[in-house]
Amino acid sequence: MNRSIRRSLYITSIFALVGAFCAIVWHGFTYAGAGSASVQRWIETATLLGTRNVVSSIYLGTRFLDSVLELLVFAVAVLGVRHFLDETAPGSTAEPPDPSSESHVVSAAARLMLPIVVLLGLYLAVHGHLSPGGGFSGGVVAASGLLMAAIAIGSAPVSRRLAPPTALERIEWSAMLLILALVVAPVAISLPPFSPLLPAGTVGRLASGGNVLPYNLLIAIKVFIGSWTVVQQFLRHRGGI
Amino acid sequence: MTNALVLLLPVVAGIALLQRRRLYAVIGMAVFSLLLAAVYLLAAAPDVAITEAAIGAALVTFIYVLALRKTGRLVVAASEVPGLIQREGDGISGLEWVILQRLAHAVGMDLVIRFVPHEEVGPMVLRGEADIAAGGLVASDIDQGVLVVPYPLPTARFRITGPASPGEQHAEPAGPPTGYFADLVDAVRSDEPVAVTLDLARFLALTRYDLSAYTVERMEGDLNYALLVSFGRVDLHAQLAELIDELDSTGRMERLIRRFVE
Repeated sequence: MNRSIRRSLYITSIFALVGAFCAIVWHGFTYAGAGSASVQRWIETATLLGTRNVVSSIYLGTRFLDSVLELLVFAVAVLGVRHFLDETAPGSTAEPPDPSSESHVVSAAARLMLPIVVLLGLYLAVHGHLSPGGGFSGGVVAASGLLMAAIAIGSAPVSRRLAPPTALERIEWSAMLLILALVVAPVAISLPPFSPLLPAGTVGRLASGGNVLPYNLLIAIKVFIGSWTVVQQFLRHRGGI
Repeated sequence: MTNALVLLLPVVAGIALLQRRRLYAVIGMAVFSLLLAAVYLLAAAPDVAITEAAIGAALVTFIYVLALRKTGRLVVAASEVPGLIQREGDGISGLEWVILQRLAHAVGMDLVIRFVPHEEVGPMVLRGEADIAAGGLVASDIDQGVLVVPYPLPTARFRITGPASPGEQHAEPAGPPTGYFADLVDAVRSDEPVAVTLDLARFLALTRYDLSAYTVERMEGDLNYALLVSFGRVDLHAQLAELIDELDSTGRMERLIRRFVE
């Protein structure tokens, strides 16, 4: 068979597969929505926990085991990046030159936007139990603010202004350990693990939602430092920006 | 609205898949992520939408772009040789340039040519600063640490020394201006002492000037021009050899040689 025919066959089959998948999802998948009985139960749980954002009461409440495992996967990924890029890159000590001369407009705009983006990330994390957001997305948003600054003014100046890498690593793993400690702490007062220690509070207030707020904050710290570590290591070993 | 966006998703994904240049494919993936975030938002899942936009559109795109900065470029270290690879106004022309352009197109990378002095070409490939060495090279120029891809253009080596000043027989002339070919031409035109070994293309270009003051000596051996590929890029070596085979078998190589060299 000739090459172009085979190529067009490949492409058609890819499109056909994707189309079939979309058709199945379109017709076969019905989402019960908030009317069904199981969803009613989730909403009851959420109101018990005192969060206005129902989703956060699920993934940081009744289904927190899933989130902890997810966080562990992320931690292992960051650990891998740190380990392999720190050890196996010869001559990696030389920092790439700062691209500060690229454009004054870009670097000034990045300096102006950085605090706003980091604040937005913090807001997403702190308000995770009241509005859409949460620790994961808040941490990534704040880290992408640092990434923007690294693109504009170079990664070395940004990481110099941040805490030294070893301190960051310590903070990151302390956050992880604190989360695990919060998970098993209820056992000490003869409650099952994963049960909230803090009171539910009034729905809609900042100090509400049981353990959801501290979890969100700790996850945000962990994800922020982890994402920045990945970005920074890639910058250092991929020729830099 | 949501339905229209969901229908658009496979289209954008297909466009991203079919891009030949990797950077465009990555941008296509970022657009796909943004569309997906919009779909999540319209499906009343703002939490997921925020995460998708932050990770899919910003972080992942960035990491891909970083990876591409290294792999998306085909860096060639070359010394200028008339007819093979030379600057012409703002552009570059020559036989090796055409071959390299075809190779870059076949592997979907951006071609970057770094013109360096002749002695620097080999070391740059050995140090991994360039993927390919070009510019009138003969396989024996560097025999270790590189993959050699010869192409069907025979060459020879010429040793040019002189001018011999009276009473100073067999003494090595001082400071041969090797390196850039233009420097050598300048030296020959002003009859300065040189001691260099040249390939056929450079030698022919040099015979336009008066060489009567110099001793020219043809060296032994049947030689072929070659491009040298870094050991780290075995994939490029295979593709370059395949490309040259194809050019040779379809007769295009002959036409190219006639166009640039004769």
